[in-house]
Amino acid sequence: MNLLTGEGFWSPLVWLALAVAVTALTWWFRSKGRQDYKKGTEQATPFLSGEPMPEGVHVGGQHLYWGFVEALRPFVERIRAFHTGVVVDYVTWLVVMLAVVFLVVMLS
Amino acid sequence: MSWTVHVPILTIAVPLLGAFALPLMAKVHRRLRDLWLVGVGAFTVAMIVTLAVQVFTGGVQVYTLGAEAADATLGPEGFPIRIMLVVDAMSAFMALIAALLGGAALVYALGFVEEGKGKTLSMSLFLLLWAGMLGLKLTGDMFNFFVFFEITTVAACGLIGFRAWESRSPEAAFKTLVMYILGGLLVLLAVGVLYGQYGALNMAFLSSQIQGGALDRIALGLLLGGLLMKAGAVPMHMWAPDAYGEADANTAIVLVANTQAALYGLFRMVFTMYGGASTPAVGWLVTALGALTILVAVLMAVIQTDLGRLIAYGAVSQIGFMLLAAGVGLATLATRPEFGRVALQGGVFHMFNDAACIGLLLLCAGAVRRAAGTGDLRSLGGLAHTEVWTSGFFLLGALALAGIPPLNGFASKLMIYQSSFRLSPILTALAVLASILLLAVFVRAFQGAFLGPRRNLEGGQPISPAMLAGMAVLAVVVIAFGLVPDLVVRHMVAPAADALWTGRDVYLAAVLGG
Repeated sequence: MNLLTGEGFWSPLVWLALAVAVTALTWWFRSKGRQDYKKGTEQATPFLSGEPMPEGVHVGGQHLYWGFVEALRPFVERIRAFHTGVVVDYVTWLVVMLAVVFLVVMLS
Repeated sequence: MSWTVHVPILTIAVPLLGAFALPLMAKVHRRLRDLWLVGVGAFTVAMIVTLAVQVFTGGVQVYTLGAEAADATLGPEGFPIRIMLVVDAMSAFMALIAALLGGAALVYALGFVEEGKGKTLSMSLFLLLWAGMLGLKLTGDMFNFFVFFEITTVAACGLIGFRAWESRSPEAAFKTLVMYILGGLLVLLAVGVLYGQYGALNMAFLSSQIQGGALDRIALGLLLGGLLMKAGAVPMHMWAPDAYGEADANTAIVLVANTQAALYGLFRMVFTMYGGASTPAVGWLVTALGALTILVAVLMAVIQTDLGRLIAYGAVSQIGFMLLAAGVGLATLATRPEFGRVALQGGVFHMFNDAACIGLLLLCAGAVRRAAGTGDLRSLGGLAHTEVWTSGFFLLGALALAGIPPLNGFASKLMIYQSSFRLSPILTALAVLASILLLAVFVRAFQGAFLGPRRNLEGGQPISPAMLAGMAVLAVVVIAFGLVPDLVVRHMVAPAADALWTGRDVYLAAVLGG
């Protein structure tokens, strides 16, 4: 039942068995923690950097990994500049790539 | 003669006939049209499965049109002149992908495409696109390859531009049409060059003649240009997010299959037709384009705010993984074949896996649009409260696409990582990094669309059971292929990859004899 991957093998069933074991272990550790959590009290309200949060606020997807996205932005903006949405540019890229393909195919 | 001999032609003819007869059925009664649609879909899927079983158990199947016998491939002068379908394990494997996505799209469309918004014509174009894709994958001659290429172009662009009343669909359809037509012209030019050189259009015959001369290389360059564009390789990919993002969900997943059909064409040309004449440089070119496609598409996905376009860039990135695997296979064909074979198997396996998880995500995006009335991640939120099944399917598809074990995407990506490492560790590092980025992108999308408090979004409509059934079909594949990858690889993927890797002689012998 093992998939040979060139350098080794992959067995999803073994992985699943390990995942179940790790989950059980984690649950056991968690069960040993504090028992004074009460649903519906202040303990259950979201915590966002200590700021007071009004009812029903959702941290939307665009805010998730904010720093990570900002760090990537300089690279992404350069790539986005090529995506003009103009069909003439699309054709230009096709011609450029055709030239590259021909260079490789004819010179190799 | 057993009827099963005719299965290859029935696989194409049934959806083709179904497409043209559908408007006539609709004239009689809507219910008759829907029955016809379901019947054609079920029969086509049954034919594809039968064909795949025949090929995987009995070897290459040849069907010669107009001949006294289906396997009479050579004319009176010992020359393969007739139109021919040649189905080896790779063709059958690709047909199974078309069956999966076409079947899921059809079930989904029954509950998704609304009456009064061109349902009959939309479904006619869908069947035409399905027939075109299947023809592209089963044909054994170059001219019909071009003909089916054009059929898919016409049908795909018609479907992309279908929602002319509510979005930017016509613009996306126009851009796609321009690119597809140019790609088709490049393929036609290549067909002309090869015909002028050898006076033949049969792929097996051409393969036996091609020696790698200047004209052969010109034809290869033209084919690579046209097929890489239609496959969505960066920087010729820009039509793809426009098309996937603007098309209906049931259309978008068939477009994924159509893109993979172009990739199949690329594999068929470089491995089967030019198998003895292509150089490692072509492999390196495909590898470089694969790496570039992965990187650019994932980075572009990071900044998308529309769910459809985000998934579209995810789909383009997966094409990069397949190109990377094929490139590694080509580059190591002569020097390190043991790793090249694993790379190609990984790439072929990833085609099926990508079809299932990207298809699932695109259907989920359609369901989100239906339930919330928008696909804008800045407006969405809290859908998991009401759309529990769609939330689960989306999460499943996203995790599989990012390559999280034990889902199907992990197994094929692992094969690609380990084999590409032998060519260059940088390639593996890039591919792993892209998968991590992809996971982050889809976690953001899930958080944005499904988590958080309930929102009252205007314009939402309920998700129909048929839509959920379409998604469930793909979800089952995502889980099942992840749990038993060894069985899938042994019985389906390895024969398909080997048909390209070492099966060239078998392919030629099936057509030319000897």
